[in-house]
Amino acid sequence: MPALLEAKGLKKTYRMGRVLVSALQGTTFDVAEGEFVAVFGPSGSGKSTLLHVLGGLDRPDEGEVSVDGVSLSTLNDNALAEVRLRKIGFVFQFFNLLPRLTALRNVELPLTLADLSEKESIKKAEDMLKLVGLEDRMNHRPSEMSGGEQQRIAIARALINDPKIVLADEPTGNLDTSTGGEIVQLMKRLNEEKGQTFVVVTHDPAIAETVDRIIYLKDGRIQRIKKGYGRL
Amino acid sequence: MRIKRIFSMAWESMRQRKLRAFLTTLGVVIGITAIIALASLGEGFRVSITERMEQGFELDVLTVIPGSLFAGYRYERFKDTDVENISRIANVSAVTPVMQIGSVTLYNGEKKATAFVAAATNFSEFQQVFSDRFELKEEAMPDPVENDTLIIGYKVNYPNKTETAFAFPREKINVTLSIPKQTIPPSVEYENYSFTVAGTLQEGGTSGLTNFDYWVFLPLDTARKIYETSLVDLIFVKVPDPEFSENVAEEIDALFPPYQITVLVPLSFIQQVDLILGTVQIFLTAIASISLLVAGIGIMNIMTVSVMERTREIGILKAIGAKSRTILTMFLAESLLIGLVGSLIGVPSGFGLAHVLSYIIARFAAFQPDWLRSPEVERVAIAPIFSWSWVIIAVVFGIAICILFGLYPARKAAKLDPVEALRYE
Repeated sequence: MPALLEAKGLKKTYRMGRVLVSALQGTTFDVAEGEFVAVFGPSGSGKSTLLHVLGGLDRPDEGEVSVDGVSLSTLNDNALAEVRLRKIGFVFQFFNLLPRLTALRNVELPLTLADLSEKESIKKAEDMLKLVGLEDRMNHRPSEMSGGEQQRIAIARALINDPKIVLADEPTGNLDTSTGGEIVQLMKRLNEEKGQTFVVVTHDPAIAETVDRIIYLKDGRIQRIKKGYGRL
Repeated sequence: MRIKRIFSMAWESMRQRKLRAFLTTLGVVIGITAIIALASLGEGFRVSITERMEQGFELDVLTVIPGSLFAGYRYERFKDTDVENISRIANVSAVTPVMQIGSVTLYNGEKKATAFVAAATNFSEFQQVFSDRFELKEEAMPDPVENDTLIIGYKVNYPNKTETAFAFPREKINVTLSIPKQTIPPSVEYENYSFTVAGTLQEGGTSGLTNFDYWVFLPLDTARKIYETSLVDLIFVKVPDPEFSENVAEEIDALFPPYQITVLVPLSFIQQVDLILGTVQIFLTAIASISLLVAGIGIMNIMTVSVMERTREIGILKAIGAKSRTILTMFLAESLLIGLVGSLIGVPSGFGLAHVLSYIIARFAAFQPDWLRSPEVERVAIAPIFSWSWVIIAVVFGIAICILFGLYPARKAAKLDPVEALRYE
């Protein structure tokens, strides 16, 4: 079976003031459909950069990413936005919901960007909020919700367009242990019930217990890849 | 993204920053208000002046006088053949020659009256040219006209509105005429002639080039006998429509050697005045437009701040798949809404302001000292004129300014790098 996501020889250097930082130094791996992969590593190991490059938010200096058979380097900015919209869902450490919009509108936003009619998109967003267990918070704004609730809204938003893959950047990094555990459980459930593919960047050991595979990253290089406890 | 959703999001975002949106829109409102107020007042001013001039000058009557501003010598006076030649020109509907006798004194027993102009003319021809003005107040025009028939101008017969008339129809009065004598040096003799009053001319009003209120009219044939000449001083020429006046004037000119006569064409005079007033109106409106330009800079300023504040939001939108074009449209939609709302309020408020200003102008005119005030001062009031074309110009210009000045911040937002924007605190 061809891999859903392929990363080949990714290199990325960026400038921080006068210093050149090598975030990725030839990273190669792939993710199969339905897999739950964690990328582990200390801060500054290039995890976030890797996630941005995988999700088409940033372009690598060298190397190649393909998602669902589409090579991202061949796409212009508009087409890349289209891939982010339809094939990729992002979950961030700081949730990154739009503070002005209600939970429902936040979840619905990608459907709006995908030109769905308002009636259709609201229906879908309501269903998605039910799936993450927040149907009663629909009309609340992010500032009226707890961190765990906000992250669940963010996950609902990531899933709303039926993406091929969800990329999560420290999704539990800003939550307490038990709330973080709930988020992990939610992702795990979505992975098992819907076969949703996840790549999660984290230091959270709770996630390590769940995933199929762990990729250890240090200084932009993969140190080792280990089977996780999730599917032993 | 659907355009309707973009606008509803832009509306929502403005609602969330009410004071800011209000102040930004206020700038546009003031700009549009100023443009509409000045344009509609200017239009009213132009129309009121042009209308008054049109009433004063009969646009379909040309006046032919001997001499020219630039002539070293002048064509003495008009002969009957001149009048005939003019009447043969195409698009001339009536011609009437006038012998001007200067000011005369009239006596009716003890009563005395003065006419500034005594005009000798053929009454029926004259009536064809000035059909709506040359009518008697009391009765129909005399027919047939006797040699001693006299028609008296309104102000000659009623110098003071409260007084009774100087003369009534069919009364016999004496008129003193000055007759030049061919002596050396030339001299003038005053002679009295008896006339029968046919009636008073209807009041014509004080505006206009030819104000018959201070005139008296006697038959041309009578004057020719008294003065022993057939020559006349001016010729009135009527055209069926003012639009023919320029052409007819050229053809009349062509009948005489160059620079010997002058044809007064009221239409071209009015056109000049209208052109000047139109230019003044455009100039005023252009000044008003500067305030709209300032409003545009206000929009640019606020939108740039707004883009900075919403950098993270833009990053999120891009991360979840918004195209640059979508971001651009979202910000442009906000400035477009500012322009639309600003125009929507600005147009009626501008028209309202024009009414207030016109009221103030009217009050100001009423406070003028008496010596400066004409009896028609009430009519000086300028009614602002609502014109759709100015509304369209103002609204299009207002919205164009908003989009133009919104373009820079919107492009700035659209060009943001998503990763950097997400990192922005």
